[in-house]
Amino acid sequence: MKIEVNKNLIKHLENLSLIQLSQNEEKMLENDITNIIKFFEKINELDLSNVEPLFHPLPQGRLRKDTPRDPLDRENALKNVKRKENGYIVGPRTYGE
Amino acid sequence: MIVELVNDLKNKNLEAEEYVERTYEKIGKYDKYTNAFITIRSKEEVLREVKENINKGGKLAGILIAIKDNISTKGIRATCASKMLEDYIPPYDATVIEKLKKEGAVIVGKTNMDEFAMGSTTETSYFGPTRNPWNLERTPGGSSGGSGAALAAGYVELALGSDTGGSIRAPAAYNATFGLKPSYGTVSRFGLVAYANSLEQIGPMARNAEDLGLLFSIIAGPDDKDATTIDLSLNFEFKEQNVKSVRIGILSDILEMSEKPVSSVIKDVIDKLSSEGALIEDTKLGNAEYALPAYYIIAMSEASSNLARYDGVRYGYSKYMEGNWREVYAKNRGEAFGIEVKRRILLGSFILSAGYYEEFYLKALKVRNLIKKSLDELFKKYDILVSPTMPILPPKIGEVINDPVRMYAMDLNTVIANLAAIPALSLPAGFYNDLPIGLQLMGKYLSDIYLINISSYIERNVTKLYNLTAPIKI
Repeated sequence: MKIEVNKNLIKHLENLSLIQLSQNEEKMLENDITNIIKFFEKINELDLSNVEPLFHPLPQGRLRKDTPRDPLDRENALKNVKRKENGYIVGPRTYGE
Repeated sequence: MIVELVNDLKNKNLEAEEYVERTYEKIGKYDKYTNAFITIRSKEEVLREVKENINKGGKLAGILIAIKDNISTKGIRATCASKMLEDYIPPYDATVIEKLKKEGAVIVGKTNMDEFAMGSTTETSYFGPTRNPWNLERTPGGSSGGSGAALAAGYVELALGSDTGGSIRAPAAYNATFGLKPSYGTVSRFGLVAYANSLEQIGPMARNAEDLGLLFSIIAGPDDKDATTIDLSLNFEFKEQNVKSVRIGILSDILEMSEKPVSSVIKDVIDKLSSEGALIEDTKLGNAEYALPAYYIIAMSEASSNLARYDGVRYGYSKYMEGNWREVYAKNRGEAFGIEVKRRILLGSFILSAGYYEEFYLKALKVRNLIKKSLDELFKKYDILVSPTMPILPPKIGEVINDPVRMYAMDLNTVIANLAAIPALSLPAGFYNDLPIGLQLMGKYLSDIYLINISSYIERNVTKLYNLTAPIKI
């Protein structure tokens, strides 16, 4: 698969990542990402058709009983929130321009 | 040794005031050059806690410890060396911090690191690079470079780091200290700011094998708050493990890819191990050159998902608040993340996007399986595998930072253990032109204590390198 790293791809990735880059950064990352993908493509030299993927090193997780514990109280949980009102977090608009 | 220090403090052979004063004096004098700490706690507060804890007792009663800044510490800011979390103060303690406090340890400060642990030199920090106490023009390795430098400079005897692809072992090697990347699942990750969950572990860093073992025994153990911790309890029995008749495999494919001064120092140690009666044999990992790209594909994929949580709304950088959700989010993240973090998030998003998931992510996971299988085979024949920790000498500040692929290549020898979940330990092997070189020992899954005991023997009988303090030349 030939991958072309260009301005459009970078814009697409900014969108997917929700990161707004400066023009300089866009240029720099276009170049870096081209090189890094070349470095990734090294693994295509291997025949992996009969190998299973290993998603996680542990076969299973450790589950605890589904019983309530002491949670953080609201005041502490909201301590790092910059904008709050009556114990709620104020976020940006989810609609409109 | 910590055991003696705890006793001295208890018996007042060393007064708490003197111990704390001495520590702050060193930090005050030298940390403007080394930049090992992001946050240093007030001396008065620390002294009060040291006194209280000496009275309360515990395995670390009154002992000062440095904590990597991606570990949550209640009431002490945890920045991850990022502008994003510059003023973030965790409202809770990581499980490892709870365990340390229970044994009487006192946090002296939070150490510098690569931003969100993404880097191998501690140069991607928003708070400026840490400098290597052995040579201030050089990097201390990373990402736990602040913890490594704090040990080498003699600010503290104990530190915590985290290791996703070598982040404990690189600074251990470059600072002539000891560091263990524990077997996956032995140490709780609850409260560790996540970068790549399936790869990383918090681990101990110290100036000798005994202290490394003590710190590991305190932080290890199952935790209901981390579903990836394992129930199996380890037998913490520390003693020098003679290397006579120990079957040691030398990973020659890895050794050959190392810089000459590094491989020659390592070969010297191997020769000495051989004359001590170890059974040395050359072997190969196989597919070694594929481990690195596979590791970075997996790490970046997990990173792009983990770092989605930084929205600047619930916590973190939030200069922009007006406008629609996507815009606000993208602007805050664009301003608050450094370039290496952006690089990895963008690449992770790319790898996981439609069409490329199979091409890169799944294939990388298959390579991961290949590496694990070849290690399983090797550990049928060998008790430990030996290699240099780092393929090159500590680079100069600025030397590799602008060439990502070159920086990633520094992790060649270390990522293997993270891919396969096995323990790996770095200890001082020797010096070349006064620059430290580390020896890496890898063992089979859950052989952590065995590795510590072997390194205990090596430091006393083979290299005689432990409790080293760098002569900081300003």
